Amino acid sequence: MKLERQQISFQQLQEKLNHALAKTPNKTSDTRVGLLTSITGGEIATLMLSPKDGTAELMVTALEHNKFPSLSTRHAQFHWFERALFDFFGIVPEGHPRFKHLLLHDQYPQDFFPLRKIALPDDFKNHLARRYEYLEVKGEGVYELPVGPIHAGVIEPGHFRFSCFGETIVNLEIRLGWVHRGVEKRLTEVPWQKAHFVAEAAASDTALANAFAHAIAIESILDIAVTERAEYLRTIALEIERLAVHIIDVGGIGTDIGLLGVSSAMGRLRGKALGLADLLSGSRFLRGFIFPGGVRPVSERKLSEIKAGVIALKKDLTPVIQILSENQMATERMKDIGKLSKSLAHEFGMVGIIGKACGLECDTRQQFKQGKYPELAPQTVLESGGDILARTAVRIGEIWSSLDTIEKLVDACPHGEEKVALPDKLPANATGLGIVEATRGELIHLIFTDEEGKICRYAIKDPSFDNWTAISIAIRDNLIADFPLCNKSMALSYSGNDL
Amino acid sequence: MIAINTEAILETLAFVATFLLLPPLLVGIIRKTKARFQNRIGAPLLQPYFDLMKLMSKGETISKHTSWIFRSTAAINVSLLIILAFLAPWTSLRPFNLGADLFLVIYLLALTRFFTVLSALDAGSAFGGFGASREVTLALLVEPAVILCLAAIGSVSQTSDLGVAFSFNNVSLINQPGLWFIAGCGLFLASLVELSRMPADDPTTHLELTMVHEAMILENSAANLALVEYSHFLKILILLGISSQCLLHAIPFFWHTSQLILALASILSIMILAASIAIIESVAVKLRWTKLPEFIAYSVAMSIFCVFIALSKNLN
Repeated sequence: MKLERQQISFQQLQEKLNHALAKTPNKTSDTRVGLLTSITGGEIATLMLSPKDGTAELMVTALEHNKFPSLSTRHAQFHWFERALFDFFGIVPEGHPRFKHLLLHDQYPQDFFPLRKIALPDDFKNHLARRYEYLEVKGEGVYELPVGPIHAGVIEPGHFRFSCFGETIVNLEIRLGWVHRGVEKRLTEVPWQKAHFVAEAAASDTALANAFAHAIAIESILDIAVTERAEYLRTIALEIERLAVHIIDVGGIGTDIGLLGVSSAMGRLRGKALGLADLLSGSRFLRGFIFPGGVRPVSERKLSEIKAGVIALKKDLTPVIQILSENQMATERMKDIGKLSKSLAHEFGMVGIIGKACGLECDTRQQFKQGKYPELAPQTVLESGGDILARTAVRIGEIWSSLDTIEKLVDACPHGEEKVALPDKLPANATGLGIVEATRGELIHLIFTDEEGKICRYAIKDPSFDNWTAISIAIRDNLIADFPLCNKSMALSYSGNDL
Repeated sequence: MIAINTEAILETLAFVATFLLLPPLLVGIIRKTKARFQNRIGAPLLQPYFDLMKLMSKGETISKHTSWIFRSTAAINVSLLIILAFLAPWTSLRPFNLGADLFLVIYLLALTRFFTVLSALDAGSAFGGFGASREVTLALLVEPAVILCLAAIGSVSQTSDLGVAFSFNNVSLINQPGLWFIAGCGLFLASLVELSRMPADDPTTHLELTMVHEAMILENSAANLALVEYSHFLKILILLGISSQCLLHAIPFFWHTSQLILALASILSIMILAASIAIIESVAVKLRWTKLPEFIAYSVAMSIFCVFIALSKNLN
């Protein structure tokens, strides 16, 4: 989607946000925050999305003293963004209720702000001084339980600091940033024609969705359209990726409640879903399949094999999912645990599975142009419980809808060219936006080019960036022993957040 | 003076060999059965032996915050459980009866738990702390079930010596299949909790926050861990053995059969109970912590039935 940069003052921004995000007692607002970031360090850029009509607005506000009154105090969605803004640009959100480093840890020099392009003011001082202080819960019988960053399973690193009272969690603070790799900065350094290799490495189980969002953003800057066949193939690939991740995540629920038959069967079936990805792209994780301008060529024979594979997978999945969903003990284990209310989910801007499980219609496949969506978008799977059971139900629902969608798209996929030629240069001072519904939810790639047409700022907003707060909220006042299951039901990405 | 004859020596050797060698095999049976239920081939049946051997040859890491309690607990527990294996009526083949008072048996078990809990607290880690707290809470809930089941049997047989009560020649217990069966089931359900099996605890989990038994032994390593594992295996043998003996007593056939068949049936029935643990673990899920008292209530209810049966018998 092509974007105009609107220059507005901070006051206008505040008024606009107050108006756009206001909610009346009966209705929540339709507008949501896409992301908040900066381009050079001298301004803040706010992306507002209107899901209803599928449009977006980008507002750029110049800052005078390298600081601004925190927006989080009024709009909770900003709290994570503002912390990242300070880490990357050194811009201080004054009055932020829990102002700490988010991504850069103690080892970095005090005035190191990697994405900042303009000089820091002379009197600048990093008041956080790279220290990280956990929220301390006091009182007799309250104890702290540190877990991670290295965990018992083969998973990514993240530190959880529980403050517990007996078996109950009073507060959970999550510290991330352990897998910060500087993806956004690297994306501005590599030649833009090859940037998709870096973009898809942002989070490895979201490789395809990242490549897809990158391609949409670049194509929107160049103002070109890809062929109809490419649109179909991209959409098929997106659903295959969703299918594979959902299958293993549902299997993970089986592991955590001790239903090991389900988890080992799901592990095997995920392999079959990855096999579909291999058929389509030659890579089990769909690496290198989508690039700006199109997709890799796919033969008709491969497509019919994919269809046969989908039908077989449906047959194999049915009894396994039945075992999980018909087991009374399993249902009881998941019900009313890790509950997130719809109003809090909306206030904190939850996306993807977590939002859908609370009843928020936040499926961007229905809202923003991506491949053959929204025209052929499957119906959004919605639940209202907001608990582990609801999140698992959404995943299971999406497994079925993805399978159906792949079958439908393969049938309808037209013949033709897979790619179109691209110009040599990106236009100057342009902005490109790509929004894709990745497995975990709304994924945004936002690209700014400078006067020479080079990428000067590349911002990625992974769905997990919005959703990490959800765990802290949902697990409050729950049992310690329920945390792993709650965590698994959200299955957030560490690398997607840390970038 | 005890007359020494070859038969007695052979019996003793067979008994010692059984309790030293059988426990890891039971765990192997549980793991293999579970694997088959998950469509996996699973590790070899003898893998627990290999694991123990591997642990014995590893270098040990001991936290510098620990005291002698942490270092000696594993050895103390193995010794206590070996004593218990000599006392408790977990198999029909016991060449000697040292006088297994039911309270002695129960409190020897409690003593092993006491040391495990102490050593978990000794290292000062948060996991050890809540693991210990959970273990004690569960123990508090299941202990009545174990005591009442055994006490009911003792009360009918007019003795607190379990060796006498479980000896297959106690006339007051011969026509009591109901009592034996309910006591056996009650003890088996209680054993699931005592042994940290599902649905109370998931022994295969890697999630520290959900653990009970495993959380307490996170700090142990190498030979120390091997001893802890072995004493846990031994506990499985003893508790499943007592349950299976109760069930065997409920079947009249075994009251009138030869010692050899009885001894083989004892071992086979322990293996069958181990396999049933595996089946339960394959179809059940780990219960929520707050739901566990409801599960334990089943075994307590069974033990109360046993008491009723014993009371009615004594009143007659």
